[in-house]
Amino acid sequence: MMDVLYTFAGFLITPLVPAAFAGVAWGILGGALPGISPSITMALLVPFTYGMDPGVAVVLLASTYVGAEYGGSIPAILIGTPGTNAAAATVIDGYKMKQQGRADEALGISLYSGFVGGMIGLVVLVFLTRPLSSLALAFTPAAYFALGILGLSIIASLSGESLLKGVIAGVLGLMVAAIGTDPVTGINRFTFDSPELLAGIAPILVMMGLYAVTELIEQSGKPGLEASATLTSRTRVRFPSRALWRRIARPQAIGSAIGTVEGVMPGSGGTIASFLAYNEARRWSSQKEEFGHGSPEGVAAPEAANNTVACTALVPMLSLGIPSSNSAAVLLGGFLIHGLSPGPMLFVRHLDVLNGLFAGLLVANVAMLIVGYLIMTPCLWLVSRPKPYLMAFIYALVVSGVYAIETSLFQVGLALAFGALGYAMRYFTVPVLPLVLGVVLGYMVESNYRRALVLSSGNHMTFVDDRIAFWLLAFALVFVVGSLVRHVGRARRPSRQHDLTV
Amino acid sequence: MSRDFVFGCAMLALSGGYYLMAASLPQSLLDDAIGPQGLPKAYAYVLATLSLIQIIRSLPRRSPGAAASGLRGNHLHAWWRPLGILLIGVGYLTVVPWLGYTLSLAGLIFATIRYQRGEGVWRAGVVATTGAVFFWLLFVRLLGIPQPAGLWPSLF
Repeated sequence: MMDVLYTFAGFLITPLVPAAFAGVAWGILGGALPGISPSITMALLVPFTYGMDPGVAVVLLASTYVGAEYGGSIPAILIGTPGTNAAAATVIDGYKMKQQGRADEALGISLYSGFVGGMIGLVVLVFLTRPLSSLALAFTPAAYFALGILGLSIIASLSGESLLKGVIAGVLGLMVAAIGTDPVTGINRFTFDSPELLAGIAPILVMMGLYAVTELIEQSGKPGLEASATLTSRTRVRFPSRALWRRIARPQAIGSAIGTVEGVMPGSGGTIASFLAYNEARRWSSQKEEFGHGSPEGVAAPEAANNTVACTALVPMLSLGIPSSNSAAVLLGGFLIHGLSPGPMLFVRHLDVLNGLFAGLLVANVAMLIVGYLIMTPCLWLVSRPKPYLMAFIYALVVSGVYAIETSLFQVGLALAFGALGYAMRYFTVPVLPLVLGVVLGYMVESNYRRALVLSSGNHMTFVDDRIAFWLLAFALVFVVGSLVRHVGRARRPSRQHDLTV
Repeated sequence: MSRDFVFGCAMLALSGGYYLMAASLPQSLLDDAIGPQGLPKAYAYVLATLSLIQIIRSLPRRSPGAAASGLRGNHLHAWWRPLGILLIGVGYLTVVPWLGYTLSLAGLIFATIRYQRGEGVWRAGVVATTGAVFFWLLFVRLLGIPQPAGLWPSLF
């Protein structure tokens, strides 16, 4: 803990503070645009971080995530359209408050609750990440392989309605990860004699394509592109009074508690957390009847929850190298292009970057209060822009940014190709995150599997004899079985209800 | 044809192609017990199995009503229309080695605005030119990231 404090003291005179502020500002603007999720907002920023110091880059990206979670609530309150999925629950009471002429109050509650949730999430992140990664020095290739399998096992819970399609997407990701030079023999695989493919396909390219390009393609097919929201520029953020502050303390606590659990659990995410928080806040409220009709508690709970998740979702990513959400996956991509491998060894080799990230998130949460208050006018202007112009500029940013990563037009083409793949996946209702997980973990799984077998002369019992590997594989099995049971239960439930009604 | 059926068939074809490519990988004296072909072949087997399950599961759903959610009629229009935006990107990639970054980017911005039915050719042109210059200043001048220069340096 002391080293975090020392880092924080030194941090105040480094470029990390402006990075945290800039990330939050970018995140709020991106989150405020309906259709642009936090992960896309982060992905658009990744190419700019390429030439930066790794510590500054990860703070910039993580701060963007924090800002985007608040930004999503701005259109949710002002135009009844959530800027992010996680802000969908905020629409229910936030938009009602706006219709009652209380938009300023709703925005203030959202901002303040996001700050409270973010701070609680940060405490959980700092105290939970380190113990999880304390096994760092004991990890063998067998254990790393098992860790990769544990990561892949969460595909079951990321697959949404169709487990089968989720697993197929995961296998596709593993196939993509096999492109490039073989990790043991050095033979080129699936490179089609292209030198650009020798090092494999960088996960960040896959993410830029699957998130940013796919969203552009998707948006271009939606009607109402010319429509722009008409908003008054007089809207301001008004922080809650003392009486209101006391009233929303309980829903904030509920939201933060749920956000903590949902964030740490792989595959849950901010959307589920915010709806659960809304529901529980209503259950425990003394003014239940106000929910759905402009209740401040109905804004406080989901906003506290999704900002808590913005921090706690980083626990499995930082400690085990397992991205449990789209945004965590993009942040992982940001780590990787700077040569930082999240997971157990991050605490050994790059403790300074990690402590800087914790301190950066602290500043980002405070910055959210300041920037969120000041940025309202540009946000209103941005939300009111016609979509064709916004899309054109985002497209220009994508092609310029991807080229900037390795100054290669081939990679721009790859990102476009993955955009087309992502669009096809959406068309066939195939979840995207399992594919990303496969790409991120594929190399780790294969290289360590084969190294472990080389070290044990081909004996597969090495994965059982190694205690860490054994327990990680056991956890993976429990996770898969648990998810399967949930899926089967979910699949049977409607038919049972149908039986009862017929 | 239901979407799930088409998806299953596409994945089955992909698994076949991937397997053939994996099987044609050269052997090496340095090969370990698994070899460079090992896991790719396993992935192809798994994908083929899952694809077959997907195809089988989609078969009972094939009914007259299912055609409505299939690949015909308006839905065909619905899925190809957005791909125009992708073609604009392909066009950008084609011309940028010759026209250079700023001009090609202006073309990309202009084409995207017009494709999305953005108002007025002149206004779109002004926005595209301003945008391209802005991005050139940002990437090339401010961040120092070289973007494709095109044929212009060789002409002057």
